[in-house]
Amino acid sequence: MRVPEGMLRLGLGTKFILTVLTILAGTMAVNNLYSLYSSARFHEKQLVERGHALGRLISLVSPEAILGFDFLLLNEYTRQVSAQPDVVYGVILSPKGAPLSAYIDDSDPLVRARINAAGSSDVTRLLREIDAHPELIQLAFPIVHNNVELGRFVVGLSKHSLRAESRRQLALQLVALALVVLFLCAAIYLVFRANVLFPIKSLISASRHVGRGEHALVEIKSNDELGQLASAFNAMAEEVRLEQAKLHRQANFDTLTGLPNRLMAMDRINQTISRARRTSQRFALFFIDLDNFKSVNDSLGHAVGDELLVATGARVQAILRDADTVARLGGDEFLVLVPDVINELQAEEIAERLVRSISEPQLLSGRKVVARCSIGIVLFPDNGDTAAELMANADNAMYQAKAGGHGSAIFFTEDMNTRLRDRMQMEQDLNQALELGQLALHFQPIFDAVTGCHRGAEVLLRWQHPERGSVSPADFIPLAEATGQIVGIGDWVLEQACRNWSHWRQSGLVGAEFLAINISRVQFRKRFARRLSALMAQYNVPPHALELEITESVLLDDHQNVAEELNSLRAVGVTLSLDDFGTGYSSLSYLKRFRFDVLKIDRSFVSGLPDKPEDVLLVKAILAMAKGLDLRVVAEGVESHDQLLFLSGQGCDYAQGYLLAMPMSVEAYRMYLETLVAGAVRSASLRSRVTG
Amino acid sequence: MGIFPRNKPGETTTMYTPLANHLSARLGRKVVLATARDFDSFSRAVEERRYDIVFYNQFHYIQSSKSYTVIAHNEEFGRSVVAGALFVRKDSGITEVSQLRGRTIIFGGGRDAMLAYIAPIFLLMQAGLGEKDFKSEFAVTPPNAAVALSLKLADAAGGGEILLSLPVVKKTINTDELRMLASTEPLLFLPWAVKRSMPAKLQERIRTVIVNLDSSDADQAILASARTTGIRKAQDKDYEPHRRMINAVFGKGVSPK
Repeated sequence: MRVPEGMLRLGLGTKFILTVLTILAGTMAVNNLYSLYSSARFHEKQLVERGHALGRLISLVSPEAILGFDFLLLNEYTRQVSAQPDVVYGVILSPKGAPLSAYIDDSDPLVRARINAAGSSDVTRLLREIDAHPELIQLAFPIVHNNVELGRFVVGLSKHSLRAESRRQLALQLVALALVVLFLCAAIYLVFRANVLFPIKSLISASRHVGRGEHALVEIKSNDELGQLASAFNAMAEEVRLEQAKLHRQANFDTLTGLPNRLMAMDRINQTISRARRTSQRFALFFIDLDNFKSVNDSLGHAVGDELLVATGARVQAILRDADTVARLGGDEFLVLVPDVINELQAEEIAERLVRSISEPQLLSGRKVVARCSIGIVLFPDNGDTAAELMANADNAMYQAKAGGHGSAIFFTEDMNTRLRDRMQMEQDLNQALELGQLALHFQPIFDAVTGCHRGAEVLLRWQHPERGSVSPADFIPLAEATGQIVGIGDWVLEQACRNWSHWRQSGLVGAEFLAINISRVQFRKRFARRLSALMAQYNVPPHALELEITESVLLDDHQNVAEELNSLRAVGVTLSLDDFGTGYSSLSYLKRFRFDVLKIDRSFVSGLPDKPEDVLLVKAILAMAKGLDLRVVAEGVESHDQLLFLSGQGCDYAQGYLLAMPMSVEAYRMYLETLVAGAVRSASLRSRVTG
Repeated sequence: MGIFPRNKPGETTTMYTPLANHLSARLGRKVVLATARDFDSFSRAVEERRYDIVFYNQFHYIQSSKSYTVIAHNEEFGRSVVAGALFVRKDSGITEVSQLRGRTIIFGGGRDAMLAYIAPIFLLMQAGLGEKDFKSEFAVTPPNAAVALSLKLADAAGGGEILLSLPVVKKTINTDELRMLASTEPLLFLPWAVKRSMPAKLQERIRTVIVNLDSSDADQAILASARTTGIRKAQDKDYEPHRRMINAVFGKGVSPK
């Protein structure tokens, strides 16, 4: 905390010594003043006693002189009295108050001032004037002879010299006091500095070191509170050091594998860049991502997944030199930094070694696991000048490798960046596509495979890009899923579908019993069912009018959440369809675990019908299984009569494909529905095609 | 050599020892200085003629003139003679001696003081005032009488005419406030006398020694020690005025006491 402006900064030593100075000076000053006061009182008392002694003596010897009119002797008495120190005057007065003998010390300041002012030495008036002065003590003694008062002796004693002496003593004592106080303060300060300030300064210095992240301890010189403070500080500094080491480890190393993490990796890359620049050498970065690691986690459990990550890190480390760096960037991503790589050939050899090592079968928790990986390779300075650029390019290359097939390693090329830029541009365009009205719904009718009657339609999304033309959903849907844009787009699709269906119904176009809508895994979240219900209520769409097509990828996510969401949808009453069955994992356990109403056979299986025996067997098996599970089956991609005949013959419930109807725009589909209503179109064409 | 106790015995010894030594040296015989504790013992010694040489006041000399004869007199303040006088305060309104009737008069010394008592009484008597016509007070010395007059403790003071000129008086009081009211004829100062039975030749030798003291520094030192400016030759007839006044005041052959 900073000291507020305007506040005087006083050090501890200054504050302490000021306090000591104040206390010492105050105490000693009070003591000295009391001593001075006592001394002054004592000397004043002595002065009075001296005056009494003189007075008694004069009053004793004077009667004879008075009786003998020996005024010269009286004068001598008063002169002798007045010659005494501090006596201002000595006067013998008659009983009537007339001065018989007076001696006044005209050198006394009191007298001198009044003689000068009065211009005369009238004794009576002079005495009257000076008697009232606070510095004068007047004592009177009767002069008695045979019990007859002959007069009185009055002596005036000046406290001037006492005051002067007191002032002198005060000055001397103040000087002595100042010297003593200064000496004591200096001595106390030196002791304080040695015993308190120095240890505190050591603590401050050590604290600053610790504050800068440096380890520092202070020497413990005493067993007092400061010693205990120093001891506590050292303990704290040690704790801080351990904590810092721990934080450093946590910040720079991966807790699972013990390998450097992304932060440390970036630091190592930066260091290597600096060194490589100095020595004009090249180095290589290998961005490794395990393929299908998620399925390992899902199928074998996270513990095995973690075990695989640890084993992978160890394997990679094992085939590298000590100077090389292996880091875990997060998830299933690893980075290998190899300095002093001469050329691409050398880097390629290293990549091959990495692929081979990672791909070797290993036993994890008693199960044999074979891991594959994709590797993106960059070279410095060929593929980037900075750590961030190198990392980004290596990441890009890794994705290209992953896209190209498992277990491969690819060098980064500028084309990759071009593609990346294209992808980013498309992402930006997609952001505006909804607002600009570039997205549109198309509808591909679905027919009863046996009767040929139109039953509904699958809702398809089309993007009419102003420059690229019609963009395939296969290109922009994955992008929208990757960027999360699919949530907004999917919601728009859902609403448009509900609105159209409702509009058609209100127009008396009842030909479409349902609309099948594809739901992305990203879109498939908890509040999806609530949103769907709201739309259905808003557009008065009954549950049976909506069929949600969900791909197997949705089921790969958290089973508990997926099951809950599916149950919610089922509670809403909509039909659930498992899309693209057979292309993914096609795990039968999904069918057992999650309840679906419809299976959609992917077009890749339909295309080989009825000639390809394996496709025939597979489709038959799917249809048999669906019957067994009481699932309806939709075959998509039906493009020939033979395919349609085979499917209808095998009991397939529904069919869709170019043979039956091309996807059509909203307006076209509306007209199609109108013709259905008019009875112009039933499924005559289908029937004729089915019957040949 | 006897010296009247005008001063304390120690002081008297200090003052007159140089003169005694001088006389011893000049006479060729030992001169012993004798002091008296008080006037009574001094007067007894004079009556008993225990002194060969004696220095005393004029009244004492007149009283003892049957046994002693004057050979010299003191010169004081450079003067051989001095008058007796009465002094008053200027603000008293007293301009005539007769105005002192019923007043208090202080005299500087005892009743045997020539200038301070006998001469002022003589003046009062000349003005027709007897001893009962005024109240008498006695100061220790004439200067004290002057001080008492100044302090208004008396209406008049008796003393030698030089009283107000005396340094001790001038130093003690403001003499400008006083003035002399009346004075007598001039009277010779204090006498030096020798026993009449002393051989005349010796009397003369003594006179010669003491009246010639002013010729050298040593002699001046002797005179200064004795607080006199000189010693001059004198004879009995020079003290006849004193005798007349004493007789007038006390009556012939009457002691003042």
